[in-house]
Formats: sequence, C-alpha cells, structure tokens
Amino acid sequence: MSVDWKSQVKRLMARGADYADVRYYPNHEEDFKLMWNGNFLAFNRSEESGFGVRVLVGGAWGFAASSNMSSPEETFDRAFANASAASTKVKRPIRLADKEVLSGRFVSPCAVDPFEVPMAEQIAMMRELDGYINQEGVMQRRVMLRTIRNTIQYYDSEGAEIEKHFVEIFPSIHVTSFDETGMMQGRKYQPPRLGETRGWETMDRDHWKEHADRIVAEMRQSVEAPKCPEGRMSVILMPDMMFLQVHETIGHALELDRILGYELSFAGGSFVRLDDFGSLQYGSSKLNARADATLINSPGSFGFDDDGVAAQNRMLIENGILVGAITSRQMVTEANERAGRQIFDSSGGTCRACAFYRTPIERMTNINIDPGQDGTLEDIIRNTEYGVILSGEKSWSIGSNREQFHFSTDIGWLVEDGERKGVVKNCAYSGMTLDFYRSLTAVGDESTWEVQIVDNCGKGAPGQVMHLGHGVPVCRFDHVKVGE
Amino acid sequence: MVSHEIISKLRILREYALAQGARAHLEWKAEDSHLVRYANSAISLNTNEHLTILEVSVYGDHKIASTTLIVDEDDLDTMKATIDKAIEMLAFATPLTYLPTLPSIKKTSVFEETYDPEVEALPNEDIIAFVNEATKGLETDDILLSGNFSSGVATYASISTETPEVVFSRKTDIGITLVLSSEKRKWEVNAEQFVSHKRDLDAQALHDRLSWLVELYTTLPEERLPEGPYRVVLGPAATAEYLSFLGWLGYSASTLKRGLSAFKEDDVGKKVLSEQFALIEDPGMLATFPSPVDAFGRRREKRAIFDRGVLTGFLWSQQTADEFGGTATGHDVSNLSIALQGGDVETALIQDFARLPRDRDILYVPYLHYANIVNPTEGLVTGVSRFGALYLKRDGTITLPYNVRFTERLDQLFGDKLVWLSKELVPYGSSSSYFGRDPSTTLVPALACFDGVTVEISNESF
Repeated sequence: MSVDWKSQVKRLMARGADYADVRYYPNHEEDFKLMWNGNFLAFNRSEESGFGVRVLVGGAWGFAASSNMSSPEETFDRAFANASAASTKVKRPIRLADKEVLSGRFVSPCAVDPFEVPMAEQIAMMRELDGYINQEGVMQRRVMLRTIRNTIQYYDSEGAEIEKHFVEIFPSIHVTSFDETGMMQGRKYQPPRLGETRGWETMDRDHWKEHADRIVAEMRQSVEAPKCPEGRMSVILMPDMMFLQVHETIGHALELDRILGYELSFAGGSFVRLDDFGSLQYGSSKLNARADATLINSPGSFGFDDDGVAAQNRMLIENGILVGAITSRQMVTEANERAGRQIFDSSGGTCRACAFYRTPIERMTNINIDPGQDGTLEDIIRNTEYGVILSGEKSWSIGSNREQFHFSTDIGWLVEDGERKGVVKNCAYSGMTLDFYRSLTAVGDESTWEVQIVDNCGKGAPGQVMHLGHGVPVCRFDHVKVGE
Repeated sequence: MVSHEIISKLRILREYALAQGARAHLEWKAEDSHLVRYANSAISLNTNEHLTILEVSVYGDHKIASTTLIVDEDDLDTMKATIDKAIEMLAFATPLTYLPTLPSIKKTSVFEETYDPEVEALPNEDIIAFVNEATKGLETDDILLSGNFSSGVATYASISTETPEVVFSRKTDIGITLVLSSEKRKWEVNAEQFVSHKRDLDAQALHDRLSWLVELYTTLPEERLPEGPYRVVLGPAATAEYLSFLGWLGYSASTLKRGLSAFKEDDVGKKVLSEQFALIEDPGMLATFPSPVDAFGRRREKRAIFDRGVLTGFLWSQQTADEFGGTATGHDVSNLSIALQGGDVETALIQDFARLPRDRDILYVPYLHYANIVNPTEGLVTGVSRFGALYLKRDGTITLPYNVRFTERLDQLFGDKLVWLSKELVPYGSSSSYFGRDPSTTLVPALACFDGVTVEISNESF
C-alpha cells in the first residue's frame, strides 16, 4: 500500500515534535550463499520491507519501526509517545546541527546488478571458486557470497527528500588445514575493491584463480612453519590486517557518540577526550587518517547519511595530530557545548542505520590512511632490521575504550636484516593504541594502498551490523609486543 | 498476535507449500521489542520495533534452499511468494553430499511458561520509575547513568509439510544493564538483571550493587597492576562469556567435525577439565528461557555435558548429524539451556566476599569486554576486564585496578586453574542478538575463583 510519508511527518510536527524523519525500505534484498567443502550450508534469499520513524520531542529521541504497513500512523504515534516519555529525563536537550536541506538521489555504481545475474551463473561461479581451492592439503574450504540490493526513501521535517539505491557484493574464500600438533592453520581472501564499481562485474575469474592458488600455498607453508618468535620487534601490517587495526583503534575510537559516552552500556567508550582535538599526538607524523564517504567503489559510501547530510571527506588525524571525528548532527552540537568551544563546524555525515528497524547512529564510512612516502612493500622490508610481516585477520579483541588491543593473524613472514625470510605461524601482537601509532615508522606508497571492505561491523543497542570500507597502505610499526 | 492466529496462518502457508508440491519447513518469528536507553544521565533513545519474520526452507533430493522475509504479519500473499521464491531457488541448488532431514513434528507443543503479559504491556512510566529506583541518589554532576532497559516478546512457531503439527513458543523477557561512570576519571561500574516476569524485577538488588561499587570507586585509590599471574574471582558476566566460548569450541559436534574444536572425539569419556566442573543442558530450567521442544519436534531432556570434568559427548544438530553421519541430540534450538553447577562456597555477592578475610591478594573481574578466540584448536581466548574490577588485598584493603587483559586456554582455566565456585547460580544473558529478539541466559555460579590467571597487558589509567 502507498503511504503519504510526508503527511505523517507533518502530523507529528503539528503535534509538537521538534523534528521528525522517516526511512522507508520498500524491499531490502539480500542473498547469502555459503559453500563449505562443496556443500551449500546456506543458500538463502532474504527480503525486508518496513519503515522506521525517528522523532524529537522536548529534546529527546523516540523511535518506532514496523513491518506492518496497514496502520502506519500507529507507529508514528508510538515514536512520538516514546519521545515524549524520554523527554521526562533530559539532561541536555538534543539540538541538531544545521544542515543544508537536500533533495537528491544516490545510486551506487554497478555495471552488473548481481540480482540480475542468473542464479545458475552465480552457482557456477561459486563452484568454480570452490574448485580453485579444492587442492591437496586443504582440509576445510569455504566459499561465501553475500549480495545486497536496497532502496531507502528518506523524508524529514526540514524538507529533505532523498532516495538511495545500493548494490553491494561481498565474496570471500577460506581454506584451513592442521599442523602436526593438530592446530588449525587457515588463510582467506576477500578481494579489495579494484575497480570503480560495486557490482557483479568485480568477480574477475583470473584474479580469483591467482589468489586462490596463493592462499592455498601460504596455508601449506603455515602448516609447516615454525611458530612466530615472541618479543619486541617491528611489525609490517599488510592492508588485509592494517584495515582491522585502523577499524578498531582509529575508527571506533573516533566515533563521536562513543567519545561522548553514548555507547557505555555495551560497546564502550573512547580514550579520546574532547580536549584532545587539535592537540593529541595520536600517532607519528607519518599518520594521516580520514573519513571519506566519497570513495565511490566502497560500501562505506552512500551519498547521503540518515540525517540527510551529504557524503563528506574529512581529515581525522593530520600528520599524527587528532583533528576530527566521525560525527552526526546531534553529536557535533553536544560536543561543542560540552567542550565550551567549537571543535566541529558541522556534521560529518556519518549517521547511518543498518535496517529500517534500527535508529541511525555514528558509523564509520571509509576510514582511510593516506599513502605515505616510504616506498613499496619491498622498500619497507629492505629498511627493516628485525620484525615480522603480518597478513590476514584471524582474531581481534579490543579494550572498552579502544585504548589497547590484541590481534592474531593468519600468517607472518620473518624479516631479518632487510630481507624477507620464511613463513611463521600463530602470529599475534598486542599493544596500547597511542604507543602503537606513535611507533609508526613507515607508510607505504600508492602501490601498497588497497580498499578493504567490512560487512560485519557491530555496534549499538539494539545491535546493528554495518558495512563500510578502509583504504589503507602497508604500514610498519616498531617495538611492538609480538606473541600469543 | 496470539498463538492460534499464528498457528492458523502457518497451516495456511503449509497448505500452500503442499499445493506447490514442495517439501518445506516454515518458521514464524515475531518480536515486539521496547528499549529504553540511557546515556549521560538522560534517556538517549526510546524505541519500539514490531517485526514479523517468515523463514522458509524447501527440501529437494539432497538439496535445500531457503528464504527469509520481514513483512506485514497479515500479508499472506507476500509470504506465499517467498515460498515460491524458495521453490524457484531449489532448482539451482547443487546437490549436497548428504540427505538433509526435513522436520516431521509429531505433536503440537505450545510453550508459554516464560511469557508474562505484564512484560508485554510494560509502559514507559513503569520502566522509567524502575530505573529511577535502581539508581536513586547515585548520579552526580560527574557520575552519569548509562544503560539499557530492554523488554519485549519473542514468538516462535515451526511447521513442516510432513505434518500439520506445530512447535510454538512465546517468551517475554526483561534485560537490564545499568552503568554508572565518572565523566572525569572514566571509571565505570555496572549492575545487570535478566528476568522473564515482571514480578522478578528487583530494583533494590541493582541499587545495592551499584551503590556499593560507586562508594568504593569514589573513595579508594586506583592502581595499575603489574603484569603477571593472579588469583582471580570472576563475576557472572565473565564466567558466562568463557562458557559461551566453551560451547562453541568445546562440545559442538559441528565445530568438532569442521576441525575447529579444542576437544577431540577421543576426549569423550576422559577427564579433560577440573573435577569441580559440571556443565548441564537442561530445558527444564525456566530462567534460561528454554525451548523444551526443538525445531524438529523432539522433546528435549536434561543431559550432562561435562560430569566432574569428564566430557560426556558432543551436541549434534540435525544438519551436522546428516552431513557427518551422527545422531541428532535434540539441540536444534536457537539457544541452549546451560548451567555450570555450583560449588560449595556459600558466598554469592561480591559485597560479602570482599569483607571476608583472605590469605592472598585477589583480583575481582566482573565482566570481560570484547573477548575473542585467538586460536580455536588451542581453545585460546583473550579479553579485557571491564565494569568495576577490584583488587582485594590480603591485608583487607581494596584498590581499584585499571583494566587488564587475559589470554587463557579454556581447558586450563576450567581445568587446573579452577579453585572454587559459589553454590548459588545466577542467570546471565541477553535479550537479543544482532538478528532479533531472542532472550537467553546461562546459569553460572555467582562467583568463580581461578589461580594463575596471567595479566598480560595492564592499562595505565581508567
């Protein structure tokens, strides 16, 4: 049925709301296929339809969402009632930062819509990938393909009208085996974004074959390899590990809602304080980080956020100094008030919800590290006395304020006297966030920079899983604690 | 929507699937969730979500295809279309190496013992009043309240084309997390509660814990602990976190058969953990929001998983049994009903434990943040303390330790390192996952003591 969304928004405003918006998802489609050792353990199509209403009354948020379309006014009224109830306990009335009221449309770049690719062709592709990794020595093999197609219609009480169409594709392959002690050794590959689009056309067979052979060979080497040495040494993070380091200890740490204490009940806070903006030496002078939602080929780009703010490209860390955060309209106003100075001049356009039934919150867009001046991977290795090259995220655990971390990786290569030596297994490293980034001593050039994608970033209560990206180069950090 | 309406609709959809010549399993999930979220001593969000989900699995010869739909609960036409879609997809599914079992439910079961209409109807005013009572007098300009009060109803119904019988359950739950934190010093303490019925809410218990911790955190000295081994007492959240990893790495047949288990088939019948370690799965424990009948219609029975440290066997889902030639053990449920049996220590509250004389220093860790598996076959898990750790010194004094990281092997932690367990069990769990409302708890000893737990990273501030 057709609903006059704008009229419903106007109705709430007439009842006394300070602000209201609605997001309508006509049909969110998602395919998930998981082939494990040749068997499809998941062969699923999901579809979602519904709407979410966010309303500000008396300086407090209320939200309601429903998949029932027969009486939408009830859901609008429920959101209003929730906001009214919330307004009985307000410490600092919510005020939204000014924005340019926009009407627009965003379509993610896609040459071939995966939902228009015949199922038989998709299955054939997955079987082909499975065939690539079905090699001697591989005990467990997985091929995953997740595709998303979604439309979001957005209307707010300030007059914004936005429609967004997304197509996303998240493929990966994974192999595991066991060493002589029975310990699992694995390797996986989720391709970085190579072209300028986000559709089925990114599934390049030759590329997959090359990397399938590579990860199987590396897994076999891990099975035979000695354990990674322990102690303090340099770590050279490949992009398929560096993205997670950035994600967990720059991205989450710089979400302004976390900094302001809005996630303390579960996800956690941040070691960053409002006083730190403009002065905190977050990392060495080689560190330049940005939130870039204009990177067109990444799932962290969306045209307009769920506050109706256009995509932004803003610096977070400049020459090692903290200068920015991941921000929404609500949080920038509150941060400036609490700091007693203007830290942020406007929303960074990062307010997103993962579904119609979740409320928008600060989410990472593409949290990138700019390429540096330290040459290629081989140049960095040549200039490393003793350390380990680490690749492939295997596990991650981070302190509640993002102040410390522990990561393990699929594989490592020892580096001694400027030369890459053999493979080492069971690699892990840990540290304190600021000490770690201040020990950044080499940042690879453009040749090492890749857009890695994340389709499972969890945050919020109720919980939300978001997709985004990280453009990162190879980076080297010194004096890092290595060992399980 | 009440049970007979959902069952009636499922039967209509079943008839439709049969008319299409399909062999299908249909699962109806509905949630009506309410979350009042606090931050910075204000209500930061007040939400309701009303969702209806239909999951369809269509079975062919060595094939399955499935569809999931979130839709209007009255929109049977779209639901039928999603059955059509699953049938359409089945043609493209490649043959499995095994024959998947289609559920055949022999008898209709309706479970509503953890349903409370008072929870479903809980108004905003009651929720706000409860939180006010639980935190009365504890907020200041610097000490701010955060937290969640999550309440709601989760409904589940399952039917297959084999029979018209249905498995139905309706559960209410309230999950409360209240956090008090210092804006200036950045410490944070919490108190939590998980109940199915409104009558079980206990604001005073939450207040007692919070007020005691706030008093300590505003008066006692803080310190950075040296790295090294400690005697550690875990609170319910931390113990439940370790047990959840043990569930995946320790006794799941799927994990075992995929080579990721910390235990092997040869370990069955062997003493692999401490003699004090007795873990059961018991769908009779209402505090765990149990499912007495699984999705295949099997009535579930209590069973020991570890008996005095001896691994009695692995839990087999139907899919794992089909694929690897085992026998399903009746555990095709969204959440198991797990309890770690208590020990002989009478003390249950940390407030009481902290007053007891002690012969050594003890680190109390109530909660583990963002724990994760470093190495599955080693059972190696890492995590960081959070929410009100205490360092209880031998001389009777207490200090406030900054958060610390442990990386421990589960077989060692629940093996030689396990010292004692409280007699009293308490539920610890959650109202929902990322994928929807699905209340669950694990029953754990209120306090659990371990020796030789190594602090490998120690923070330098709160």
